[in-house]
Amino acid sequence: MKESEGNLIRQLVRDHQPAVRSSDSNPWLRVLKKEAASWVSDMTLPNRKMEAWRYTPVDFIDSTAFADVEEGPFEALALTDIEELLLPDSEFTDRIVFVNGYYAPALSSLSEQDGVELYTLEGKRKLPAELKRRIGQADLSDHFFFTLNNALISDGAVIHVSREAAQQHRRIELLHVTVGMPDPVIHNPRHLVVLESGAALELVERYASLGKSRYFNNAVVDIHLSEGASLLHTRLQEESEHAQHLTYLNVNLETGSHYEQVSLALGGAWSRTEARIHFSGEHAHAELDGLILAGSKQLNDVHLEVLHEVPNCTSREHFKGLLDGNGKIVFDGRILVGRDAQKTEAALNNENLMLSRSAEVDTKPQLEIFADDVKCSHGATVGELDKEMLFYLRSRGISKADAERMLCTAFADEVIAAISGPAIRDHVKKVVLRRLADQGKTS
Amino acid sequence: MLTIKNLKAAAGEKEILKGLDLEVNAGEVHAIMGPNGSGKSSLAHILSGREGLEVTEGTVTFEGDDLLELEPEERAAAGVFLAFQYPVELPGVNNTHFLKEALNAQRRNRGEEELDSVAFMKLVREKMELVSMKPELLKREVNAGFSGGEKKRNEILQLTLFEPRLAILDETDSGLDIDALRTVSEGVNAVRSEDRAIILVTHYQRLLDYIEPDFVHVLANGRIIRSGDKRLALELEKRGYNWITESEAA
Amino acid sequence: MTMSTTAEEIRGYVESGYEHGFVTEVETDIIPPGLSEDVIRQISERKSEPEWLLAYRLKAFAHWKTMETPEWSSVHHSPIDFQKISYFAAPKKKDGPKSLDEVDPELLRTYEKLGIPLEEQKALAGVAVDAVFDSVSVATTFREQLAEAGVIFCSISEAAREHPELLQQYLGSVVPHTDNFYAALNAAVFTDGTFVYIPKGVRCPMELSTYFRINASNTGQFERTLIIADDKSYVSYLEGCTAPMRDENQLHAAVVELIAMEDAEIKYSTVQNWYPGDEDGVGGIYNFVTKRGDCRGDRSRISWTQVETGSAITWKYPSCILSGDDYVGEFYSVAVTRGRQQADTGTKMIHIGRNTSSTIISKGISAAEGQQAYRGLVRIAGRAENARNYTQCDSLLIGDKCGAHTYPYIEMKNPSAKLEHEATTSKISDDQLFYCRSRGLSEEDAISLIVNGFCKEIFNELPMEFAVEAQKLLAVSLEGSVG
Repeated sequence: MKESEGNLIRQLVRDHQPAVRSSDSNPWLRVLKKEAASWVSDMTLPNRKMEAWRYTPVDFIDSTAFADVEEGPFEALALTDIEELLLPDSEFTDRIVFVNGYYAPALSSLSEQDGVELYTLEGKRKLPAELKRRIGQADLSDHFFFTLNNALISDGAVIHVSREAAQQHRRIELLHVTVGMPDPVIHNPRHLVVLESGAALELVERYASLGKSRYFNNAVVDIHLSEGASLLHTRLQEESEHAQHLTYLNVNLETGSHYEQVSLALGGAWSRTEARIHFSGEHAHAELDGLILAGSKQLNDVHLEVLHEVPNCTSREHFKGLLDGNGKIVFDGRILVGRDAQKTEAALNNENLMLSRSAEVDTKPQLEIFADDVKCSHGATVGELDKEMLFYLRSRGISKADAERMLCTAFADEVIAAISGPAIRDHVKKVVLRRLADQGKTS
Repeated sequence: MLTIKNLKAAAGEKEILKGLDLEVNAGEVHAIMGPNGSGKSSLAHILSGREGLEVTEGTVTFEGDDLLELEPEERAAAGVFLAFQYPVELPGVNNTHFLKEALNAQRRNRGEEELDSVAFMKLVREKMELVSMKPELLKREVNAGFSGGEKKRNEILQLTLFEPRLAILDETDSGLDIDALRTVSEGVNAVRSEDRAIILVTHYQRLLDYIEPDFVHVLANGRIIRSGDKRLALELEKRGYNWITESEAA
Repeated sequence: MTMSTTAEEIRGYVESGYEHGFVTEVETDIIPPGLSEDVIRQISERKSEPEWLLAYRLKAFAHWKTMETPEWSSVHHSPIDFQKISYFAAPKKKDGPKSLDEVDPELLRTYEKLGIPLEEQKALAGVAVDAVFDSVSVATTFREQLAEAGVIFCSISEAAREHPELLQQYLGSVVPHTDNFYAALNAAVFTDGTFVYIPKGVRCPMELSTYFRINASNTGQFERTLIIADDKSYVSYLEGCTAPMRDENQLHAAVVELIAMEDAEIKYSTVQNWYPGDEDGVGGIYNFVTKRGDCRGDRSRISWTQVETGSAITWKYPSCILSGDDYVGEFYSVAVTRGRQQADTGTKMIHIGRNTSSTIISKGISAAEGQQAYRGLVRIAGRAENARNYTQCDSLLIGDKCGAHTYPYIEMKNPSAKLEHEATTSKISDDQLFYCRSRGLSEEDAISLIVNGFCKEIFNELPMEFAVEAQKLLAVSLEGSVG
């Protein structure tokens, strides 16, 4: 098998440089992009020999000539055009909309209250120095797609949350809409969310598209929680069935901070989330619940790293995969407990339900433990619908198909129930039910 | 209502039922007793359509139809109900939702009108009183975290709710204390009627003090070797199963 | 094992240092260091091997030359110079000894020091011992009893002469020389090992075992073991080894091939105590082993049980290929790393047939600055209907400078299969220690007790006589670990 070479995408990066040089974006951004561009030309494309890419092929990057997106055409887009995608306004206090990787102020609406400040990378408002510093802080220099994002950053939101916001119960939707273009396009949004000491926020990060176009969403999201801050993060990926999606999510937790995530990976032909949860202060807590659907022709990959480097922190991750057709799920969850991280409690669980003959699961929960006064565990299960349970339901008159659907829904519900936001919950339930109804239960 | 003729069944290589005959009419309560390993539970499973047992010979006719041809949900719609000895837990499936779905599926298959939520809740609450079940159990997941007694009561609740033509109770008394036993029996007795037949599969005589059988059969070594009325059960209690199995062998 | 025995033993071992660290001064016949086609021909000639075996070696050597030294992410060692190793060391002998009486008394004394005098073995449970002294088998006891049952238990060299058809048919069929770098090296330069054949329907009347040690300096050990259990047969085999102190790192690259036919069962147990290096990690044994079991008949079963407490660097993944119906693979392991040891071990269970089942129970104990990684692969192929796997990996950390890592790879392609994997990492709690001590146990004894409880499931899988030795080994391994 010929390994991907990445020539097409490297060419795109080279072609993009003149635009970078002549643009009127912030100088520091231009410098970042230029440097990243020079790295991209030398970096090896991810391939099967790399541990982190062992089960996830990246052929699409070689077989598709992605084009850059130019701003402009979307200024004319109105809310009515994206109505079908929108969740009720009442669900959110603020909505920030990106269209094909660019901020669309006409479609966004921000609350009048202070407590949350929004900047954008390409916007006119000058970004304060401390915030600027945090962009590009994560050391992912050997990650090809992360560097690619750096080289091609389209735009990004910088959401700065201060202590006042805690009382305001803000729920912000960060909505990425993709509008189909004649050629497949690549978006590279770059977001930063910073919560100051004592701040609290609910963030709903959502990816959706109009129609079934081909595109590659290569996003980077940096989240920083200062001391005592708390973030409830819902991630909803509903990309087009022909799209590729990759998010690097980097979460840094300082003393006493609290991070809760519910993620739902429902769409895309090829989708991968690389999440790094980094504890840099003691007594912090992270919990992640995820539901991963992989139906026919879908590959869905979750790579998690939970890095305990200081004492007294707790983490819990629970990811459930539901497979049908020839869907494929790759799960890799690594818990690293450093030498000084005494009294760490970390638990990771991956459960997978396979509904068809040709589905595939590759799961690898890992523990790397260097401290001894810790409680760490992980578990992984893979199997099909329990025959005893199916029989029980059928013996009570419920048809085979309905019984299967009930058990699948029960499996998914555990994660869906954790979503904060009733309209979001309902929406996800509908999507999942529709998927279960559409696809047969046999391969 | 139910006619079983020369039923032979095996689990893999091992033959479990070796030619069983039984005739059950509407309005009757039959008790099937026997030592462990005699095939009592296997009989119950075959009647409900569970996988794992293969019928090698014989027929089972229910109200004129070949029961063995029907899928489990079709048997339920036809009016066959099995109360399991070890009811399985269904994490994540709400008890009320499950009961409503099941009842309406059965009604739908029979061409009857389905119940809406209001009508259903009214019905379910009535039935819960019959079996002295705590209303909180309706809000929980099916059998998950239920005590042994609560699980059995959930089975009897379903019995009163689905109103089957033929009810098979598989060792319903096992693991119950006196109070639970009494409640469960009250539930069963409440549904006794001329149109309904009940088969009690049990090892011990105790249940039959509360639910009086019309017929008692002894199942041993895959066959019914003796039938009688309730006095037979009392004899078994006094003398044990060996008394019958030995005299049959003689 | 009583508490007082353990305490005495601990004191004893502490005072005597590494008990088995000594060298026997016996004439040895060594080929000077270096690896070339010529060396291989010399080896083959000195062992009077048939043509086909020499050809096999040369083919493997040619292939090895095209391969690259493997590099692993979590095991670090200085590069090995293959030209500095001597590949053959056999004690000079006139004729093979026909009974124990004919064995060089010096050699017998060696074995006594090892703690398993052959005489005592004979009296014990009738265990036959194929004692490999460096590179050539010296004595094989209990031949007559085994011969009666039709069991062939001899060295590979002897099998090449007495049972060439069998050897030729099966050698290299489970671990081909192309499999990996060290398997290729082994196929080229293996000097000896054990060959076992159990005929159809025979239950091997005794536990089979091989003890061997590396003696002469710079002699890498390249043992080769081949066990074939024909239809409806059973064999339990124990491999246990010790080694003397040396300054240069010694290489141990063995290959073990197991073949189980229809309704056959092979139980392969290892108690490993290679020299781990001194406190600074200098001079220990490098243990790179390829072990694989091939189930080749319906309802066949292979189980690997190992207790590993030694060697400086361990790299081994006993694996089972479950290619047919109703095959069963099992892996039970206790691994202790202390001092500066590094271990990267685990197992591979490959499910291909229907109704296959595998069980993996791995217990790792890390102390001082030991680093241990469990690396497992459970692969369930598309055709593997109803495959079942249960995996339990538990790590116990003693002290805050050690590390325990778990990397399970799970690849699942069949929905009717069911797989469960669990792993936990913990330490011996202060509460547990205090409770034991408040009842009169010393801290060492308390740790020993708790650790033994932790490993109980594994010890239960070992053949009885060796379970006791394994427990002792464990106790001694942990002495002085609590700082």
